[in-house]
Amino acid sequence: MSDGVLRRNRPGSKAKDFCRWPDQPIEEMDNTLAVQQLIQQTIRRDPSNLEAILKMPEAQEEGVWKYEHLRQFCMELNGLTVRLQNECKPNTCTQMTATEQWIFLCAAHKTPKECPAIDYTRHTLDGAACLLNSNKYFPSRVSIRDSSVGKLGSVCRRVYRIFSHAYFHHRAIFDAFEKETHLCKRFTHFVTKYSIISKEILILPKLDDETPISQPVGESEA
Amino acid sequence: MKIPTAMDDSSVSHHNGGQVGSEIGVSVNNKQNEESSQSVQYSIPGILHFIQHEWARFELERSQWEVDRAEFEARIAFLQGERKGQENLKNDLVRRIKMLEYALKQERAKFHKLKYGVELQQGDMRPPSDEPPVEPEPAERTQWKQGRQLIKQYLQEIGYTDTILDIRSNRVRTLLGENSEEQTEESNYRNCDKHRYSTNTAVGRKRMMYDYGGKDQQCKGAVSGGYNEEGLSVQENAVFANFEFLANQEMDMDEIEDLDTKQAHHTQIKQEEVDHEAEEVLNELNLLTETEADGGGQGDEYVGASDEKPLALGELAQLTVSNEPEAYDVAGASKESFRKTWNPKYTLRSHFDGVRAVAFHPNEAALVTASEDHTLKLWNLQRTVPAKKSAGLDVEPLYTFRAHTAPVLCLAMGAPRSEECFSGGIDATIRVWNLPSATADPYDPYDAAVQGPVLRDHTDAVWSLSSLQGRLLSASADGTARLWSPRAARPLLCTLRDDALTASNAAPAAADFADAATRAAVVYNDGTLLLYDLETTQAVLRVPCSSPATRVRSHPSLPVLVTAHEDRHIRFWDAVSGRCAHAMVAHLDAVTGLALDPNGLFLLSGSHDCSVRLWNLDTKTCVQEITAHRKKFDEGILDVAFHPVRPFIASASADGLAKYALLVLVSLVLPTYRVYPTCVAVSRRATGTPYEDASSRPPQWRLRFVNDSVTSPPVPID
Ligand SMILES: [Zn+2]
Ligand SMILES: [Zn+2]
Repeated sequence: MSDGVLRRNRPGSKAKDFCRWPDQPIEEMDNTLAVQQLIQQTIRRDPSNLEAILKMPEAQEEGVWKYEHLRQFCMELNGLTVRLQNECKPNTCTQMTATEQWIFLCAAHKTPKECPAIDYTRHTLDGAACLLNSNKYFPSRVSIRDSSVGKLGSVCRRVYRIFSHAYFHHRAIFDAFEKETHLCKRFTHFVTKYSIISKEILILPKLDDETPISQPVGESEA
Repeated sequence: MKIPTAMDDSSVSHHNGGQVGSEIGVSVNNKQNEESSQSVQYSIPGILHFIQHEWARFELERSQWEVDRAEFEARIAFLQGERKGQENLKNDLVRRIKMLEYALKQERAKFHKLKYGVELQQGDMRPPSDEPPVEPEPAERTQWKQGRQLIKQYLQEIGYTDTILDIRSNRVRTLLGENSEEQTEESNYRNCDKHRYSTNTAVGRKRMMYDYGGKDQQCKGAVSGGYNEEGLSVQENAVFANFEFLANQEMDMDEIEDLDTKQAHHTQIKQEEVDHEAEEVLNELNLLTETEADGGGQGDEYVGASDEKPLALGELAQLTVSNEPEAYDVAGASKESFRKTWNPKYTLRSHFDGVRAVAFHPNEAALVTASEDHTLKLWNLQRTVPAKKSAGLDVEPLYTFRAHTAPVLCLAMGAPRSEECFSGGIDATIRVWNLPSATADPYDPYDAAVQGPVLRDHTDAVWSLSSLQGRLLSASADGTARLWSPRAARPLLCTLRDDALTASNAAPAAADFADAATRAAVVYNDGTLLLYDLETTQAVLRVPCSSPATRVRSHPSLPVLVTAHEDRHIRFWDAVSGRCAHAMVAHLDAVTGLALDPNGLFLLSGSHDCSVRLWNLDTKTCVQEITAHRKKFDEGILDVAFHPVRPFIASASADGLAKYALLVLVSLVLPTYRVYPTCVAVSRRATGTPYEDASSRPPQWRLRFVNDSVTSPPVPID
């Protein structure tokens, strides 16, 4: 606003103009959503520039930075879920698996359940939406308690399984989505940079390389 | 729902179980080590950095508080002005009530004379003056008993047995709480009367409004005034209740204040229960009165809406709510109800990004929201989780609809089918959804049947949807508005396009059905308002306006169109002549949301200035303002909605921030929508004349034609 630009989507405007306004420097963002705004405008500028997207501004509370990024990941994963819905059916992917080494149980239920992959995906994202919007754990988007920051780890671990299921079982969908969003690459970079989940769990091969490295036990594709 | 916690890592290993667990253990230990070593080694630069950091944070918070303070000050000034206005309004209402009372007495005397050939002895037959009405003498008690007997007879004839009457009167008695013997009789009587009214004289009457808040007052009125002895109808009772309400204002204010500050936990719950039981009774009564036909276009909708009995509110009754006034007699427009600030009752958090649209279920306490995070969510307001005491209730979504591949911009509930809804978005598609049942579990297995047909004819973002009589109207940035029959084999019925506007690159911003769904009102982002005939697909009215428009709504029963504009104005247009009936500066920033209550008495508006305002359509005055959202970039509130039959309004925001009075947490920044308790169960007759005359509308339908000068003259076509 201070630069005379109104960053608004006016009803009737074209899809290509949606959120297409000049970047706003973080110093000029005077509201409580500054971090989300910054992350979103950096992604919009170039989704493949991981360094820029994950470059935390100075004097930024790291907990909030991680929290806002995770919100953004969960939000963008809706896109992958929509694509998976057409192919990942409960009768073909009856369990949540990546490699054949693990079966993941869905933690969204009172007692963890062997949900089909698509339900695991939906339930995990819905559960993450509830947790990350919970007034109890995350009442503020300016400052976050350490105990709540600790909750981000388990969300990240589950979210990673969605990527790995798509990679090992629906590779075409995964590749098309990744080409557009660079989301898995960004996520891997993110969890590695902030040591949110341990390297051993990151079973996907490095996505930039053509050939997978250090393939874990089990076959790569179903 | 169960929030996943860090401890229940639920992966199961076939070969080497426990691997994950041990890793976590290690990383936690590392963390602890780091923390402890940090606590030992303080360094000057480190401390300085910490202090700098803290100082910056406090500065930020301080500036936020200052903004808050300025807003509150503006608000105080606004409310003071409002109060003055309301006082004038009250005086006017009291005068009108007296006139009605007088007219009623005359009518009754006439009736009595015709029937018995004798002049009826009524207490006060003078035309209304400024003095309070004289109370009738107790000598009429025998006459009243006769009358009561007579009514009982009527009721029996139409099938109301004594048992039913007794059950009903018991119910009312419990509602009214403490009761002396005399009161019991009276309430009993009033009760009979109610049903006589609802069954015998339903024709030509729309629905009955009975304000909960006034209940106590009504009770008092019954004792002191003794008007019941004359066999008043419920309507009159309501009028008198209002009257008493006004008379007892001072005391009542204190009461409300008391409730606010001191009311203990359990009494609050009790209050809730009473309210909900009252609502139940009212719903029953409404059912009886609502099913009759009505000349207006609204009639069909109403019948549809009241087919099903609304759910019992048992669950809600258990909950403690921090803002106790449940309902407001909007129709009475008593300054009492409006002076009390309305607070958000529910905060709906679960979207990851701004909420673009909100729509209520046609009859249940449920709503759907659409967000820039590509999803829609269904919420059942009766399934709530008690949150922090000050923060009201949290509701968790019942279902998340995923299929859009881009931000969702607009939403429409199925009408008359209530089990479907429609959404449109940046991805240029319109999707039909089959709503899961209100009892569905959010973690049920995926059901592909939720996704209905997809309408793909638009070639750019779909910005507005409106549904009526099984048809759907959409407005898109591709320059067209389209009419659909969403489930037909060939769903597209017609395309509304204006060549001149297309040539100038103007696109529709919003559309709404008008004139009982025979026409479509479309506003363009250059400000033009077009009215299309849906038979011929030709524009029948063209009204230019200088400011870009964001919304259009057509009045449910009058030929009036309401538009919202970026120049902070709301404009009212005569849909026949195209004249600008009224224009007003409604907000401090662009107006982005508009909703009309189903009776067409009130208008709700939202704006990028982050406030929601409720307007009396008759007087064009603002009767409530709620500021409870915060901005994301330069966007504030994006949509507002009225519940068709229940006392709720909702607002959706680019981002919501709880900011109502006294809430200390300033930093609640999550994409939210808020649902406010209000009352839309407004009686058309409560402010109108008590005489039914099917041909003439009650006086409040009159719209004032003033302030024509604001816009350029319209150019009617044909
Ligand atoms: Zn699958
Ligand atoms: Zn599950």
